[in-house]
Amino acid sequence: MENQPFDFSEPRRQSTVAIGIILIKFIRMTIRAFWPILLSLFIGGRAGSRFEDIIGFVLLGFAAINLGGSILTFFRFYFHLDKDAIVIDKGVLRRTKTNIPFERIQTINFKQNILHQLFNVVSVEIDTAGAKKSEISIDALKRDEAMALRDFILAEKAQIVPEEIEDQITEEEQITEKEILYLKPLDLIKVGISQNHLRSMALIFAFVFTTLNEITEDIAGLLSDQFAEYEDYVVNNVWFVFVLSTILVLILSFLFSLVNTILKYYELRLSIHKKGLKLVRGLLNREEITINRNKVQIISWSTNPIRKLFNMFTLKISQASSTEASLKSNIKVPGSYQAQINQIIATVFPEDRYQFEITYKMHHLLKIRLFLFLGILPTVLGLATYLGLGTDALYFLLILPVSWILISLYYGKRSYQLNPEFLKSNGGLFGRSHDLTQVHKVQAVRVKQSIYQRRKRIATVLLYTAAGHLTLPFIEIDRARALENFVLYRIQTDSREWM
Amino acid sequence: MTEKFQNLSISINELPKVEEVDFHPIDPKYLKVSLIGSAIFFIILAAGAFAILYFGDDITQLGIIITIGVYLLLLVWNLTLTILGFKKKKYAIRDRDILYSKGLIWSVRTAIPFNRIQHAEIKQGPIERNFGLSSLKVFTAGGQSSDLVIPGLPNETAQRLKDFILKKTAEDGEPTV
Repeated sequence: MENQPFDFSEPRRQSTVAIGIILIKFIRMTIRAFWPILLSLFIGGRAGSRFEDIIGFVLLGFAAINLGGSILTFFRFYFHLDKDAIVIDKGVLRRTKTNIPFERIQTINFKQNILHQLFNVVSVEIDTAGAKKSEISIDALKRDEAMALRDFILAEKAQIVPEEIEDQITEEEQITEKEILYLKPLDLIKVGISQNHLRSMALIFAFVFTTLNEITEDIAGLLSDQFAEYEDYVVNNVWFVFVLSTILVLILSFLFSLVNTILKYYELRLSIHKKGLKLVRGLLNREEITINRNKVQIISWSTNPIRKLFNMFTLKISQASSTEASLKSNIKVPGSYQAQINQIIATVFPEDRYQFEITYKMHHLLKIRLFLFLGILPTVLGLATYLGLGTDALYFLLILPVSWILISLYYGKRSYQLNPEFLKSNGGLFGRSHDLTQVHKVQAVRVKQSIYQRRKRIATVLLYTAAGHLTLPFIEIDRARALENFVLYRIQTDSREWM
Repeated sequence: MTEKFQNLSISINELPKVEEVDFHPIDPKYLKVSLIGSAIFFIILAAGAFAILYFGDDITQLGIIITIGVYLLLLVWNLTLTILGFKKKKYAIRDRDILYSKGLIWSVRTAIPFNRIQHAEIKQGPIERNFGLSSLKVFTAGGQSSDLVIPGLPNETAQRLKDFILKKTAEDGEPTV
């Protein structure tokens, strides 16, 4: 990189747009932390003009603090590249100097919210696996500067880390990217339609109730006040009101998930390049995530009943990360077709053995055990209310058939597949879900047995990778041991990179 | 034993078997460490319960009886698990991996190959220190769920194990490119 237009060896500041971006970040943080107070000030403030003055001062104060803070933050933020590390020197009250060696850097991702897009800057997130303080971010850099920074770091890293040198040879290939998935507007709508609307509903309810809760202590009182005038009408038309409100809630949830989907997955593009995958997505917040092929641990794809009608799957690619909880660096594509998934698997796990001859079922005692805990036990507890409820308690008997049907659906789909190279775990209730990993990506094997399982000679096997684990419940003990021995043997004799 | 997975190119029966390994028990002194730990916990719990009963306003006799009952139940349960569960804590070091098994009600056996270990360290609590014991902690990549802790090792054993693991990790972990 001789013709480097940017000199990263001297401490540099971010693009000046960063002041605005940091300011907005601060304001959002303030609002998120104090919104109940702000809201109550607004609502309570209507009473008299003096209150309005106070609100004005408070808001002015908040704004001043935020503005001052963001300007100071901006001027106290420097980054530069040392011989073999990126150094970030920042902090107003507590100064910190972070030094991240190139070889520890896993991925460098770009993000843009609407402000970034307006000024053609990006925020840069640098992720390292394994370290405790795992992430550093630069709020705003000019796009070409950020690209130069990333290219420089990755090139330096490739020189330091020996096993990636061989990849360097094919630099031309690296540049050519092949797009394998683009979410067309129609597909986007399909994804929106087939989202989990129950979750949206729960979110809406949670939002409405927390907001109401902040405004008034007495939700029931408020509601009954509001509806008092309609009371006669409501009482006489219970079913009408019920149906109406159900439809309203359904439409709201549907719109909510649709809008959410469009905001999040607008113009989603997934492309393959030599070293791995790149995902770009989002309307207001444009996000770019790259995943190194070696780092991919698990590929999962699942579908729900509606999405199944469109032949679509939700694809998830999990990569090794510092904490299992950090899902940010995982790629999620809600509208992918089987052919695309196969293509991605072929790219990421480039082995031609992705074919399973035999599918192994879980032990049938899993079904019985689940029925005992999710069917019979709740029913018995429900029937115990007979003392209080009388014959109404008999409705609890309905749990038995419902749970039996659900458990049968689940059990029917639960299985796993194994060959020398791959391990796949299948499941699902109404839809289907699959988790695929390469056997040598496993880093720990756990065999669990309860007293009951020991008596019945079955076990639950958990296979841990650096990005989550696969669970294989209720396997015959001989098979569990064989699996354990085989997986351990495969890990120990495999010298390929696993993350 | 018949073949459990037919489509694998190697014969599983010829592989080293985890279930035939001789596991080492952990140091008997660790039982005392666990019991002292429980004792401290239950003394604090008793003090707390006593404070509530003593300073609380309308405490009925029934309330006191229930509290004592629950307390004793917890105590017996904890002691049983600690004493009987102690014998279940065992570890083994094989040529290429480390194994640890534990658990009275839920028995769990964890195996981590050396070439997947990121890091190992020795930890020692104040009670353990008095008995000259240490715990060995083995870290893997990506979160804590697959990490492994072997408690109740004599200091010198723990140090030796740690050095051995780190040496093995360095050897086995080298990518052979």
